[in-house]
Amino acid sequence: MQKPRTVRALVIASVALIGLTACATGGSEPETSDDILIFAGGEPDHLTPGRQTVAFDQVMSVFSPLVDLDAEGNTSMLAAESVESDDATTWTITLKDGWTFHNGEPVTAQSYVDAWNFTAYGPNAWENSWELASIVGYDDLNPAEGDPTTDAMSGLTVVDDLTFTVELVGPDSQFPLQLTGAQTGFYPMPEAAYDDLDAYDREPIGNGPFEMTEPWKDTEEYTVTAYEDYAGPAPTIAGITFRPYTDNLTGYNDVLAGNADLEYLPTAKMTSAIADFGEDHVYSLQAPGVDYIGFPLWDEKWQNKELREAISMAIDRDAINEAIYGGLYAPANSLTAPNMNGDPAGICAELCEFDVDAAQAKLAEAGGYEGTMTIVYPGGSGLDELFEAYANQIRQNLGIDAVASPTTDWAEYWQSLVDHTVAGPHFGHWGALYPSQQSTLRALFTEGGGCYLCTGYSSPEVDELLLEADASQTLDDSYEGYAAVQEFVLDAFPTVPTFSATYNYVTSDRVVELPAVSGSPVLSKIVLAD
Amino acid sequence: MIRSLSQRLLGLVIVFFGVTFIIYAMVFALPGDPIRALGGERPISDTTVAALRAAYHLDDPLIVQYLRYIGGLLTGDFGTDFLGRSVGEQMLRALPVTIVLGLSAWALEIIVGLGLGIIAALRRDTWIDRGILITTILATSIPVFVVGVSAQLLFGVRWGILPVAGDKAGWPVAFILPAAVIAIYGLAVVSRLIRTSMIDNLGMDYVRTARAKGLAPSRIVGVHVLRNSAIPAVTFLATDLGYLLGGAVVVEGIFNLPGIGNLLFSAIRAHEGPTVVGISTALILVFLLTSALVDFLHTLLDPRIRHD
Repeated sequence: MQKPRTVRALVIASVALIGLTACATGGSEPETSDDILIFAGGEPDHLTPGRQTVAFDQVMSVFSPLVDLDAEGNTSMLAAESVESDDATTWTITLKDGWTFHNGEPVTAQSYVDAWNFTAYGPNAWENSWELASIVGYDDLNPAEGDPTTDAMSGLTVVDDLTFTVELVGPDSQFPLQLTGAQTGFYPMPEAAYDDLDAYDREPIGNGPFEMTEPWKDTEEYTVTAYEDYAGPAPTIAGITFRPYTDNLTGYNDVLAGNADLEYLPTAKMTSAIADFGEDHVYSLQAPGVDYIGFPLWDEKWQNKELREAISMAIDRDAINEAIYGGLYAPANSLTAPNMNGDPAGICAELCEFDVDAAQAKLAEAGGYEGTMTIVYPGGSGLDELFEAYANQIRQNLGIDAVASPTTDWAEYWQSLVDHTVAGPHFGHWGALYPSQQSTLRALFTEGGGCYLCTGYSSPEVDELLLEADASQTLDDSYEGYAAVQEFVLDAFPTVPTFSATYNYVTSDRVVELPAVSGSPVLSKIVLAD
Repeated sequence: MIRSLSQRLLGLVIVFFGVTFIIYAMVFALPGDPIRALGGERPISDTTVAALRAAYHLDDPLIVQYLRYIGGLLTGDFGTDFLGRSVGEQMLRALPVTIVLGLSAWALEIIVGLGLGIIAALRRDTWIDRGILITTILATSIPVFVVGVSAQLLFGVRWGILPVAGDKAGWPVAFILPAAVIAIYGLAVVSRLIRTSMIDNLGMDYVRTARAKGLAPSRIVGVHVLRNSAIPAVTFLATDLGYLLGGAVVVEGIFNLPGIGNLLFSAIRAHEGPTVVGISTALILVFLLTSALVDFLHTLLDPRIRHD
């Protein structure tokens, strides 16, 4: 008569087990402060400025750039007293006195030079190394073959505690813009960082408005609080809690319920966000990015310019914008985003306008299209609806058998571009890190430029025109110069500009004001309700 | 006895090496270079890619990489992912969350499933029985994603009585919704199994004898019938425990619980061989243990079953 208790024992045992394990994970009491903003985001990759590629918000709250940007893309000095040059090639950077890292170490010229050298040093394999590529000596640190023989760039010279000079490989009037916040490869690091870089990656010591209060642990939220001795303008909030979500729809629901304050709006919710949150709590910020369709230009079939133009004119950007993005995106009519300084809006003209008759005429001119057109995009990134829409419009308006085909993930997508195996027209996007047309044009249309593999297009004329524009003495001259680059590239039409994205955010009722620069909220200036 | 034990151990070793190698090879064979995907929508420069590939030995042949990994594993080192994080530490952090979630769901399956099954069997062919039948069929046919998101919107966002997501509130509050969502399928199965086999057993001679002897109905049902009807449900529950401890990818994602399922999902997406294999190895061990548990419980419940 003892065995029959098995079932009951099973139940009791399992309940007891749960009780035990529950102790193991027991949640600590949440810190509740009225002035702490809860940021619902993704999991960071790194918190070291030279390494992060997806943790901009986190890193930019702990560090301050040399040069600040306002909402209109104008620069002002932040950590720097001045950034000056007579010939646009050799730049003298003077730092403001009195700035300290969160551990009390003073921020000096050496802090910058050491950090830049370390970030640029090839064998370290830091992800943002390329941002420093136009400094003289960068190539010595990144030789095509073998190990570098030096670990310092010859173009960097410390003059005194607060002054250093930077020699660029050529004249570049846009250099001060490159020193702004999103180019995190240009941030300084304190000496303490080099003692234990792994620990530093978890708990970076910066020169910014907020300091870390605890090391970041995988998949766990952490809080940064206002740095008392910050020498820049004091932040409007007491701190930020960065809470990672694996599913951004969950974060969306958490903001909706008031458990978090700010989240990047998931594409799937773009059409319903305003109904859920009301107009006041959905922010549509003009992004510095452009979306386009690229082509396998190494394939003879795609070297036909009229075919590419036909595709561009067959896409009804306005209809797609309304249907998928709730009208929040802007149809593209130039190669750069509208908030790039001096963006030549409308330069793409009729080639970026929806016109079925003209598109069909172009297709006839191109000699038609045989077979299936496979349009490739990285899967699992919320792009399915967009590419289905592209394929539909090409099918309906040009009568081409077009299909949208996702890769498994980003890895496979990039590999297909590296290996030249991509099956047809493909996804393309470039998010500029500073508001100069230079960032986009250089990245996409020059061989050395970061995203050359995204378009596969370059030409000596483009290089020439870009150098000319870079060397301009005034900003207005440079705008004309970049417009000339755009005109030349659009004449060859290697890519189809489609949208200029907006970065959209939803906020809880607590957020009263969301100041933004280049499409990203400035967390240190957010205004919370009392 | 010793022979059967050593056979089992040998089998375990073969399963261990076979499965880890197959999984490692599968992750290795995924198309694309994981290093290139580290920057997401921004490509990473060729020199950085080359340096990182060298640092993680990605240019070595599959077998060399695998042996290096197994070598580390045997010394207790689960390796690092492509961001330089220790896989062992990540698993240690994720496991408690999944164990709590899995056991909570399991307890719900047992308590609610058993209860519904017994009621349905005793009230056979009444509206109660039919109600339970319809509810459980409905519950098993709605995708877990739909149930999860709806539950989150209703209980978390609209009524605000339970947390929307995260494990900050601790057990049990933070785990009620996700565990209930996971348990729905299992408890439906348990209740069907219990009902069917109890109805069979209730018609048996020994039940009539017990009734004739004047035994209390609660004792007849609670002890004799239930025990003899429990085998199918216990078998299901034990294997289900294996699944539950394997982490619930969808539910952990919806409720933002940093458990094994979430870790596995992001590791597969990032082509993190060491992480995927590490988790799989842990899961294999759980499955082997639960299948041993099933065998043991069978003999306990029904002495006629013998494992020699």
